[in-house]
Amino acid sequence: MSGWANYIVFIIATGGFYALLALSLNLIWGGAGMVNLGLAGFFALGAYASALLTVSAGAPIVAGFVGALVVGAVGGYVVTMSTTRLRGDYLAIVTLGFAETIRLIANNEIWLTRGSDGISGIPGPFRAALGGWFNAAYAAGTVALVVLVWFLLRRLDLSPYGRALRAVREDQQVAQVAGKRILRFKIEAFAISAAIAALAGALYGHFNSYVAPDVFQPLITIYIFLAVAAGGVGRAAGAVLGAYLVIFFLEATRFAAAAIPDLSPVQHAAIREMLVGLALVLVLRWRPQGLLPEHIPPAPRPASTS
Amino acid sequence: MTARFSRLTRRTALAAGAMTLAMPAVVRAQGEPIRLATLTPLTGAGGPYGPVMAKAAAAVVEEVNKAGGVLGRRVQLVSEDDQTNPEAGVRAARKLIDVDKVAAIMGTWASSVTTAVAPLCWESKTMLCTVSGADSITQLPHQGYLIRTQPNSTLQVRRLGEYILSLGARRVFQMIPQTPFTQSSITLLEAALKKGGGDQGSLIYDDKKPTYRSEVDQALRYNPDLIFAAGYTPDTVVLLKDLFRAGFKGKIIGFAYSINQKLIDQIGQADVVEGVYTFAPSPAADATAYERVKKVVGTDSPDPYTCQVYDHVNLVLMAIAAAKEASGTAIRDTVRKVSQGGGKTIDNAVDGIKAITAGEKVDYVGASGPCDFDEKGDIIDCKFRYEQVKANKLTLLKIA
Repeated sequence: MSGWANYIVFIIATGGFYALLALSLNLIWGGAGMVNLGLAGFFALGAYASALLTVSAGAPIVAGFVGALVVGAVGGYVVTMSTTRLRGDYLAIVTLGFAETIRLIANNEIWLTRGSDGISGIPGPFRAALGGWFNAAYAAGTVALVVLVWFLLRRLDLSPYGRALRAVREDQQVAQVAGKRILRFKIEAFAISAAIAALAGALYGHFNSYVAPDVFQPLITIYIFLAVAAGGVGRAAGAVLGAYLVIFFLEATRFAAAAIPDLSPVQHAAIREMLVGLALVLVLRWRPQGLLPEHIPPAPRPASTS
Repeated sequence: MTARFSRLTRRTALAAGAMTLAMPAVVRAQGEPIRLATLTPLTGAGGPYGPVMAKAAAAVVEEVNKAGGVLGRRVQLVSEDDQTNPEAGVRAARKLIDVDKVAAIMGTWASSVTTAVAPLCWESKTMLCTVSGADSITQLPHQGYLIRTQPNSTLQVRRLGEYILSLGARRVFQMIPQTPFTQSSITLLEAALKKGGGDQGSLIYDDKKPTYRSEVDQALRYNPDLIFAAGYTPDTVVLLKDLFRAGFKGKIIGFAYSINQKLIDQIGQADVVEGVYTFAPSPAADATAYERVKKVVGTDSPDPYTCQVYDHVNLVLMAIAAAKEASGTAIRDTVRKVSQGGGKTIDNAVDGIKAITAGEKVDYVGASGPCDFDEKGDIIDCKFRYEQVKANKLTLLKIA
């Protein structure tokens, strides 16, 4: 496979990683109301866990994915346990710090992570056997995983558990008064969310065969916030749609900016960045609820007893 | 009348039909441009360097097109932004390879971006020319589809050590941010200094801090007679100011890509930067390509990356001319035939293409150095340029 088809397939796969990150953010931000600015950190945890397991320890790729999920969930558990008293902006700042800490560890603990050189030569599943079709097969697998995660999160949303989570989001004191163990809900939601972000990281690493601290700059977290805000906070389908819109938009601006004649490359780059900013402003101004706004199904009425 | 007219029409139609069938092949051969790409950091941490690099590359292509192109075809340059981020860089490279179908990607700057983009290039048989310095890059299994014009850290640091000793400094303190060459820079410089009876202390700092007072204190406790400031421009501005405030009286040396006119202007105090030494890989003093780069980008001291990307474009264009084919594999197989091995000394692609078409053997001597590559894609040797800041201006000490 080559040419446009290969490029589009590549974008579909990359969009899938973004979509998983958006689903992760949507669960914790849209579902439980906790702002996680450390998404890039959990993304990095998964990518490094899987890369180290498969490259340094020689484990099979499946073990890499499982390891990423476990490390991500444990990371999420540790972050929530150490921030149980923090809410809102304060939690956001701590999570941002967490992501930077992960990036600095990856940069400086050279014995483990190979520092800023990064880890190259990460194996991809059946890469040699598939040859030119690897990208297409991987994109299909990624999309299948996105659909699976979306389906599971939707089930979660519609279940009593999802309703309790939203109750925590709306007012955690009321939820507590109603007898919900809010700390447990928060920890579980955060751990699941972190595991999904880590899964995205593992997928990214095995696809591109290379991870380095530079990949996990805060920029990617901002893109995902843009995706979830545009798609609709609190709705899994919105997050997926938003992620694909963002990646489509990022790539389309390449061609749009290049169509303007007589500009230097740096001006094209600046126009691309301006368009991304403009898109965010327009979405927040005209459609703050997102393209697919959350709709909360009415709670089932208890069977009448009279 | 009508019958003849219609017969004529039929014949014309036939001829026209035959011509439309035949024409596209001819038009295509002459009309389809040779596509090349730059992938430089236009935004992000590499933002100060990438735009000028893209400009220099575009200037070379324009010159060659004015002189009639290569193999009778026009050259088209596509410039993308790697955002100094491997993830964004890979997306941009995918577009360049799949959509634009370029034969070569030139000018990748950050080592992480180069390492991320390299597999895409060798898998799709696209040539990659880079300015990244990490030693690990040429160790990748790139099958020849990668050359770099930046001397690797082993070569740079060995020369630096010799120069420091020649300045009479014995106690050296290295202050360096975390980069792909940090570890090798520290160990190699220590080895080079110890060979000449010197010694080294070192410290790795975070290049995004707003102040380096505690780092400077730690450096001064070592009581150095020379400090090697091995960062990039933004952090070195802060570091030099803090060293001045702390009253450091010894010598300071740094890379020319960080201690440049921009840094001197930004600091704006002659006392802070007076006497600071810089060094950079350089062409021989009489190399004419460097003068050409100055004219192209319109500054008196083009940075080494701009010189290197200028060399990339010239080398790639001449390799295409010599191979008579515009593919990544052709460039890989012939680039060393135009870069080294004797022949007519050439400093730009326009003259080079003319000489190659006339059947002459050429040897390119570029703006960044002699541009001779070993089989791994590293440059074999190059001269270094040593300068010193005097009254807010960089003045040349020597090229050796």
